[in-house]
Amino acid sequence: MTAYLLRRLALAIPTLFGITVVVFFLVHLAPGSPISGGVDSLRRPTGRAAEEMRRLYGLDRPLPERFATWISRAARFDLGESFVDHRPVSERIGEALPNTLLLNGLALVLALAIAIPLGVVAGGRPESAFDRTSGAALFALYSMPTFWAALLLQTLFSVRLRLLPLYGMESDVAGSGFAGVADRLAHLALPVTCLTYGTLAFVARLVRSGVAEAASSDFVLAARARGASRRRALWTHALPNALLPVLTLLGLVLPALLSGSVIVEKIFAWPGLGRLYFDSILARDYPMILGLSLLTAVATLAATLLADLATAAADPRVRDGAAP
Amino acid sequence: MSRPVRRRLPGSARVALAVVVALWLVAAISPVFSGAAREIRLDRRLAPPSAAHPFGTDDLGRDLLARVVAATPISLAIGLTAAAVSLVVGFAVGATAGYAGGLTDLALSRLIEVMLCFPVLFLLLALAALLPPSPLTVILAIGLTTWAGDARYARAEVLKIKDLDYARAARAAGAATPRILVRHLLPNALPPLIVSAAFGVGWAILAEASLSFLGVGLPAPAVSWGGILSAAPAYIEEAWWLALFPGLALFLTVAAYNLLAEGLRVATTEGGRKA
Repeated sequence: MTAYLLRRLALAIPTLFGITVVVFFLVHLAPGSPISGGVDSLRRPTGRAAEEMRRLYGLDRPLPERFATWISRAARFDLGESFVDHRPVSERIGEALPNTLLLNGLALVLALAIAIPLGVVAGGRPESAFDRTSGAALFALYSMPTFWAALLLQTLFSVRLRLLPLYGMESDVAGSGFAGVADRLAHLALPVTCLTYGTLAFVARLVRSGVAEAASSDFVLAARARGASRRRALWTHALPNALLPVLTLLGLVLPALLSGSVIVEKIFAWPGLGRLYFDSILARDYPMILGLSLLTAVATLAATLLADLATAAADPRVRDGAAP
Repeated sequence: MSRPVRRRLPGSARVALAVVVALWLVAAISPVFSGAAREIRLDRRLAPPSAAHPFGTDDLGRDLLARVVAATPISLAIGLTAAAVSLVVGFAVGATAGYAGGLTDLALSRLIEVMLCFPVLFLLLALAALLPPSPLTVILAIGLTTWAGDARYARAEVLKIKDLDYARAARAAGAATPRILVRHLLPNALPPLIVSAAFGVGWAILAEASLSFLGVGLPAPAVSWGGILSAAPAYIEEAWWLALFPGLALFLTVAAYNLLAEGLRVATTEGGRKA
């Protein structure tokens, strides 16, 4: 187990290095610069002003030198300063991170809490009326564009019914105590829903097919023969086996959630990492783009590693190297 | 493993296929609507759906139905070409990794893993926003960020079939590696790849719509469903139809392609509804 962990960690280092090289050269070689803005920006200082800005940002140095400087500082946990407001990149990330974690954490917990029971009930009786209806509904959710769902939910709950706020993280005049919490929850409801349903559909379909397959297998039949109830056979015998592939894929759910976060945070004006990343790209804020890319790469690699370790811990065949 | 491919598609997938065909027919007749889609009439801006304008009008008084129809070919075409780019790159990388083995496989498998575990939209946004805006940029950005899934399938299939007798016979007869890959392995690895590509089309249409919605997709005057939707948030208080109808077209298309892909998957694998 330790050797496996060490080998995985050793492999993660070249992977991380590869990601930083790709992102670094992509942003630096792309047309446009922090000084001239995007390809068709009107904000375009020229002459001495542009010269001095270039020197200030270190953009007058050759590319390999800039990369060496950046990576050696990054290795010491110094991600540099944002070009936009000259605050440390780590400070701006630190402000946005809790907001994104709150949004995505809630979405993930909610998705699993609904998807697993749904998958067990549907997979327990394949082709039943419930299985067919839930299957069709999940399929529809799976194909639904996040931003469309967001716009429809806003139209219904915020504009028509006036039940929930249109966007933002809290009201300007949010009360304290209970009122403050209620205000927070009201602001969370729509963005969390938008981030939840895709993961929910994905996981529920996986659990359903896993349970359906396990339900007809010998060990579940044996449990039934020993007198276990249908419910017990499904939940304690079929489900754990169906959860193994879910565990493996949870590592991939994190990048999917972060992707969704960009759109959801943009629509709901949520001051999180996704919006920060999008704004940084538009502003050609190289240090912010690089810092955020590094952070997400580390996070997703860690999540994949954790998922694999959990799989190894749960499945002796993986642990002993008998199966991939 | 080659499987019996000539199975009947499930009923739902045949409906989906009909929807896809219908969408392409709409795309074929869409030039008829391009005039109406561009006609700006400020005296009827943000008019709700009526008999004259079934989908209502937008913020410049353009007929929304005409705009949604006119956007059909570009949305469909970008989805299809981006998925094709993804499939070609994915097969090249995956098949090379599976066939060569050893260090090549290790390096390429790392690359595939990096691509799979990086948030797709992050890379997609970077490519689409940093490169000069054009349909080609959007196609390449989507194709180059989504090939990893195709590559994984291609690698697995090639690993399964590369030591079967016909592949060994081709090798013994002295065929060059690219020839073996394309002439002998590609056709036999195709069924799972087609399924992956069909899912890829739905995803690519969605990706293009997301980019255009965020304002970094197709440059004007080309307009896709995502581009039409990008105007909706500003008028969410007064014009719900701006969000509903273009999104509905997008949703129907993505769902139809996904349903078709799912049907193809069921038809090409034994055991029906197993994952």
